[in-house]
Amino acid sequence: MYILRLLSAFFKVNVQMTLAYRTDTIVNMLINLMWLGWELLSLNIIFHNTTSLGGWSLGELIALLGVFRLVNMLVAGLIWPNTEKFNASVRDGSLDYTLLQPVNSLFQVSFSRMVIWRVWDLALGAVLIILGIRMSGGGATPANLVSFVFLTISGAMVIYSLWIVLIAATFWFIKFDNNVTILQALMDSGRYPATIYPGWLRLIVTFVVPIALATTVPMQALRGDLNGWQILLFLGVSAASFLVAWRVWKAGIKKYSGASS
Amino acid sequence: MDFFQSGRMVLESTSRLMINLPVYSCYNANRMTDAILVEKLSKTYQVPEREGGFGAAVGGFFHRKYTDVNAVQQVSFTIQPGEMVGFLGPNGAGKTTTLKMLSGLLHPTGGRAHVLGFTPWDRKREYLQTMTLVMGQRSRLSWDIPAADSFLLNQAIYRISDADYQRTLKELDDLLELSPILRKPVRNLSLGERMKCELAAGLLHRPKVLFLDEPTIGLDITAQARIRTFLEAYNRHTGATILLTSHYMADVTALCERVIIIHHGQLKYDGGLTDLSRRVAPFKLIAVTLGDPCPCDLSAYGTLLPGGDEDGKQLIQVSARDVAAITARMLAELPIHDLTIEDPPIEDVIEQAFQG
Amino acid sequence: MLQIYRRLWQVNWAEQWQYRANLLMYLLYWLVSPVVYLAVWITVANSQGSVNGLTANDFVTYYLTLLIVVQLTSDITIHLLASKIQDGTLSGDLLRPIHPILTNILVNNIAFKALTFIGLIPVWLVLCALFHPNYSSVTGSSLLLAIPAILLGFSIGFLLGATLTCLAFWTTRVYAIGEFYTALVILFSGQFVPLQLMPPTIQRLAEFLPFQMFCYVPIEIILNQMPPEVMLRNYAVGVVWLVISMFLFKWVWREGVKRFSAVGA
Repeated sequence: MYILRLLSAFFKVNVQMTLAYRTDTIVNMLINLMWLGWELLSLNIIFHNTTSLGGWSLGELIALLGVFRLVNMLVAGLIWPNTEKFNASVRDGSLDYTLLQPVNSLFQVSFSRMVIWRVWDLALGAVLIILGIRMSGGGATPANLVSFVFLTISGAMVIYSLWIVLIAATFWFIKFDNNVTILQALMDSGRYPATIYPGWLRLIVTFVVPIALATTVPMQALRGDLNGWQILLFLGVSAASFLVAWRVWKAGIKKYSGASS
Repeated sequence: MDFFQSGRMVLESTSRLMINLPVYSCYNANRMTDAILVEKLSKTYQVPEREGGFGAAVGGFFHRKYTDVNAVQQVSFTIQPGEMVGFLGPNGAGKTTTLKMLSGLLHPTGGRAHVLGFTPWDRKREYLQTMTLVMGQRSRLSWDIPAADSFLLNQAIYRISDADYQRTLKELDDLLELSPILRKPVRNLSLGERMKCELAAGLLHRPKVLFLDEPTIGLDITAQARIRTFLEAYNRHTGATILLTSHYMADVTALCERVIIIHHGQLKYDGGLTDLSRRVAPFKLIAVTLGDPCPCDLSAYGTLLPGGDEDGKQLIQVSARDVAAITARMLAELPIHDLTIEDPPIEDVIEQAFQG
Repeated sequence: MLQIYRRLWQVNWAEQWQYRANLLMYLLYWLVSPVVYLAVWITVANSQGSVNGLTANDFVTYYLTLLIVVQLTSDITIHLLASKIQDGTLSGDLLRPIHPILTNILVNNIAFKALTFIGLIPVWLVLCALFHPNYSSVTGSSLLLAIPAILLGFSIGFLLGATLTCLAFWTTRVYAIGEFYTALVILFSGQFVPLQLMPPTIQRLAEFLPFQMFCYVPIEIILNQMPPEVMLRNYAVGVVWLVISMFLFKWVWREGVKRFSAVGA
């Protein structure tokens, strides 16, 4: 399929770029591991003082860290590098080249840069999730598992859609270099279940920058906390968010090319 | 809506159709043969205006004043397949804006254009697949990896088969001598080498129309010549239509049979190069700094242009034909400290030829 | 000399004022982590009544105090200096007859704090009104005693931060090293959790590291929760670290500038 071929072409280019900066890659991977160690140590300290955090067991929190790692993979592996490239391309005009290539512009802006080594966050996250489920007694039904997978993907979709709207804002507010920092600022809140946060923070991380949608909600599905209607609601929200992002992007491109309507 | 309203709507739309129909049909016929058709194309920008000073800044916060900038005004021309046309004009004349509209980046504020039968700013995939835009000042290649790898990416994007890709790459390599530079990271290439790779990258999908925006800018003379030779060979070899903008007269004179001159957003001239040179009496500028203070009257040698500078440099305009003889005379007769012969800026050439 | 600092202040303050639009973004950054950690510990405290003697309200008090203290002792040198070293613009500063770090960078740090507080104080007051921290144990003398701790904390933090930034003279990966340092600081300064809740081995380690002076020690002194002999010991450790970091910085700076000038910016 054309899309796959294109993705693999982008992949190859980014592998090349990673190889061009080999030592940097190794250092970054080590720092990544360090943060994993830090997260696990912090959980250790918490559970040194208690046996459950707001109804969440240690195993469940470890699995949550795994989901967080997956979301972080999206943010650090795709969103950050492509934001840099996008901002630069608007500034120096090379966005024009992107618009004139016979490939969907949104696709290009989303995937032309990939931090390749972040793929191992996929493996680490999966290990954490499996480990966490085992530790918490492994009482997950197949239905829970399936909804967990779907909600993880849809949570990532919501974050992605938010990102698109944030960078598309550059088309209207030219001096908007800090556009994605709000996403980064709130990332920290994804390490712990949003159910323990005070109401106002919970609102922010569910509706404004939906980190909670991407991390806590899938975990709730895994634990069986959600009923069918809620799951469908979340899936619907994620689909709607993508549609909104798509429309905003198209409108932004039209504005950029000076279309009158 | 009521019966009368809907009836009126039907009447209006059919009459609109009838008025357009004859125009459409002969227009359609032309579309089959023209590569590029431009009709009264216009682009007006609204630029926010603000005077300096604090009071104006505060005022500007509440009420934005806009001025209209007519970047392109009612430009019309047609280009046949296989032609190589030069778009000439000083900076800010409207060349790049026109090119952006024809390539599909900008929507015009008036008029219309068709390239290979497509409306460019619809940016249909089939259109993007048959055209290319190469901008001299902007790079599409990835900095850190060899150009060859950026090419492979383009191959995937433009869905070029391996066989076609190899064939085209070989042709481009023959014409541009790419082999030694393809495997070096783009960051390490000289400006001239990079331009060659940029051009090649834009031609891998064998487009039928090439839009080139200042492709030789910043290059040294040899590199410029090489690019020009390549473009000429490419045009001959593939029959592609080439529209090239430049503010170097030399680009256009070397390459294009036909020249379109844009100045202040308006089309000033559209015709053959030989006609142009007949209209434009070629001239050169001699910049001379005299050694000892000398009451010499330089106007004896040519037209003395107003405004020398503090170092005593003065500019004399002479016809290109006589410049060698006049220079020799000046060197013999005057105490010259420094003398250079310069090409006049393109604006002056155009101003003089077309009275602004 | 005083004149120089005054001028530096004027320039740096004007600069910082230009970036006031970013204040909202900064505030968001600084508020999120403490609020997240606070939420974690309140949850734990509420489920058990108290954690090691600390009630939920104790945590509120701790973290609200943290919001102020961490801004007082934080150091942003790496963001000011690393790029200057990497792209060579430091050479301009080296040609002036004053020490670039101890003057401009230092004042820049302080101006940044001033700007920060303009945004932070109103937010902090609102948070206090909403969450009722218990400041009954705070006295005038506890505040006074905390001032040297805060000054120590900032000085050590500044010197260590500058030393770390100077590694940019030798490597391009200074930001990665900075991340590692940040992770350490969050743990050992008491930002993640009050140090008394950490496992005993880590607590022992923290007592010998300088990072506790950044947050934990000043906060405990302000809240009048540090017995005098512990305070004295912490001050002593702090002074030792101040001396260490001074020598460390001097040495790294000297070697770094030598290398910088040799390589030629």
